[in-house]
Amino acid sequence: MTRSVIVVGAGLTGLYASILAARRGAQVLLVAQGRGGLALSHGCIDVWHDGDVRFSFRNLDPAHPLAGLGMAVFQAALTEFLDIVQEAGLPYAGGLDRPMRLPRALGTIRTTAAAPVTLAAGSLDDKTPIHMADLRGFRDFSANLAAGRLRTQGVPIGGVVELPLAEVGARDAYAHELAGAFDDPGYRAEVCSTWKPLLRGVRRLGLPAVLGTSDPTQVVADLEAGLGVDIFEIPTLPPSLPGLRLERALRHRASSIGVDVVEGPSVRGEIDGRSAGRRVSGVVAATAGGPRAFRADTVLLATGGPAHAGWMSFANGEVQDSVFGLPVDAPDDREAWTSPDPFESQPYARFGLRLDSRRHPCDRRGRPYFENLFAAGGLLAGADRTLEGSRQVIDLATAFAAVEAMLR
Amino acid sequence: MKASPVGSGPMSIDVLAPLSAGASGLAFFESDLCVKCNICTAACPVAGVTELFPGPKAVGPQAARFRLPTRPEPDPRVAWCSGCGVCSRVCPHDVPVAEMNVIAKSELPSRGVRALRDSILARPPEVARWLRPIRLLGRPAFRSPLLRAAAQRVVGIARRAPFPVVAPTPLRRLRRDRIRSRPPAQPLPARHVAYFHGCSTNDYEPWLGRTAIEILERFGVEVSLPPQRCCGLPLLSNADFAAARRRARSNLESLQPWAERGIPIVGTSTSCTLALKHEYRAVLGLSGSAIDQVAHATQDFFEYMEHLLAADGPHPAFGPVPLRLLYHAPCQLRSHRIGTPAVRVLRRIPGLQLELSLAECCGVAGTYGLKREFYDVAVRVGADLMRQARASGVDGILTDSETCRWWTETHAGLSSRHPLEVLAMSLGLPDRRPRSGEGT
Repeated sequence: MTRSVIVVGAGLTGLYASILAARRGAQVLLVAQGRGGLALSHGCIDVWHDGDVRFSFRNLDPAHPLAGLGMAVFQAALTEFLDIVQEAGLPYAGGLDRPMRLPRALGTIRTTAAAPVTLAAGSLDDKTPIHMADLRGFRDFSANLAAGRLRTQGVPIGGVVELPLAEVGARDAYAHELAGAFDDPGYRAEVCSTWKPLLRGVRRLGLPAVLGTSDPTQVVADLEAGLGVDIFEIPTLPPSLPGLRLERALRHRASSIGVDVVEGPSVRGEIDGRSAGRRVSGVVAATAGGPRAFRADTVLLATGGPAHAGWMSFANGEVQDSVFGLPVDAPDDREAWTSPDPFESQPYARFGLRLDSRRHPCDRRGRPYFENLFAAGGLLAGADRTLEGSRQVIDLATAFAAVEAMLR
Repeated sequence: MKASPVGSGPMSIDVLAPLSAGASGLAFFESDLCVKCNICTAACPVAGVTELFPGPKAVGPQAARFRLPTRPEPDPRVAWCSGCGVCSRVCPHDVPVAEMNVIAKSELPSRGVRALRDSILARPPEVARWLRPIRLLGRPAFRSPLLRAAAQRVVGIARRAPFPVVAPTPLRRLRRDRIRSRPPAQPLPARHVAYFHGCSTNDYEPWLGRTAIEILERFGVEVSLPPQRCCGLPLLSNADFAAARRRARSNLESLQPWAERGIPIVGTSTSCTLALKHEYRAVLGLSGSAIDQVAHATQDFFEYMEHLLAADGPHPAFGPVPLRLLYHAPCQLRSHRIGTPAVRVLRRIPGLQLELSLAECCGVAGTYGLKREFYDVAVRVGADLMRQARASGVDGILTDSETCRWWTETHAGLSSRHPLEVLAMSLGLPDRRPRSGEGT
């Protein structure tokens, strides 16, 4: 019989989990208050800040959300992700064993496991000198800043070029507006003829990631053919195209394989009154007309961390997950939530829900709150995702483990 | 710990008891909730195609921080907002961006011929009343390039925008037998709905209302036509809040007795039902038990169909409909925040292949695309949908809102139907749509 699943949250965790569950034959309803944090992301799949996955994963604290999952789960989660984005027409390159080093807009270096092919083409393992390009009228990227700081780290920099754009007019352009212009093959041809004389001697060109809304691979191929240089993209400030493209690709993929996407309402959890408090029955959504209940066999919380309101702190001192009100362990003394040094690990980053071995949120003694409630992603306790550089691997691996557990 | 059994069963959706006023969180505006993440700007279909509109955030929560409540000075560029509501729906912080912008738009000065045109477009039932006696002239007039060019030049109605022709007999006259001024005395039939057909179905597409009634009757539902006026949404989008409030109050007065009795108010026009559920409170600022009861009782036709199908059967059998159709959820339906109930219901029809639209908006957004100054922008907004419709080789388009249907039919060159027409086919009900050129 078909199992029904409600996934709450439409970030990387929720979108990916919905697709996984639908691929395994479940009837899936994805409900989210607004579009998830993925729209603000760089679009890469980071696994650990130094790329040393095997060492780091063997030495995880037992409270870490990845502890106990094992390399086989990471491998399977990433492989299926790569498969899904390929089907969705947004191919990625990479793998767990070959960490890539990619330039960032601020001239620092990202170590990542997988990236859209148009970003992966900027791998710093390739020693061909890079030219960085400013697009005139686009203020969210500075070629000088990126090139200057990369050079001090030993990256071979050929120089900086400034390239004109036909579409930029009266006001500052957003990245997604330029991307819309590049969607048009005619615009790309025009760009090639304007840029070609400005790119003499350039072999490899880094551009801010504005090359198309949904098919950057084609845009880059056309520009490379027209200009005779190798091209790669660098993600810019939000709204950042690689994140927007991934969000769109996954959302469209989800609806095309039958996931019902309910966009907009906030939700509260609903407990099954006939189960002596052992089961949840679904969620109650704040729709335009009023509260409406959506019910299913299982619920997966993919609501994210504190920045995404997956858990919240209330004036009365309670700290709770925002859907079922499950308690989140946090010191009473709010001063202890943060460290004085903003660049150090922040204690609050590790707050969240604890899971038992079957991926159910559980109390301190390991007893699950509900038999059919699961959680994954940024809502889980025990990781400082920013400092570890583990955000996306946690999203994918814990979503994968949760879906496997709930459809078992 | 014992193995936790994962139960099985169909997904179900229930209507719960209403919360108090403003429970949707949208009754008052909080621009300070905006963290300027620009997710709305990136999703806005209008900002994506014209430089003249800086995006919902810039003219909305960002500009609102500099407005005094007593002296609103909206950024005039807010005029480019089509009112599709995508921004509010995608906002992760529940900022009512679109609602702020509709209100800001109503404060823009409007004079002369454009004000006259807007007040005509805002009154579809009155227009139908004037045009019905001369309806036979309507079709040739709307098709005459000369007259349309003149209308564009003189009153600013886009010459390529589609307009429906007034039907000879309105729905309320065709189904006079169903009109009830108040809910029947006890006892109520087990299943009973008050049908809010809206003015478009009454005056322009009465066959759609007949079909909706026949489907409901096939499911054993007693249908009543309560007294109703235009929901007021066209007035609201054309900045006449005072007139919109008058219609709203009159509708609340006639619908509240039904809502109070727990009778669902079911609508086939997603924009009318959205007005009852949401705009009366969030934009017109109405509050109180009448609007809360009515908002809570109101359901989209397919939202109600889901309840019928979830209830104990037997249900009428769904026959095969061997068609491939592209379903586009109108932006007003998406603002109900209930997902796409039509898709959930139509998936039960054997043989029907549904392709889903990937576009945010078809472009017309009510009356926006009908106006000369916005027409080109509306066409560009809808370009993705029209491209998808043509490239996918589907037999036609399905979309729940009348303005989206008229617009997509003209701009995609494919027939465009309400999803309930396909449901009627599946149930073997007669096709009530008039042959081209005829009336009902």
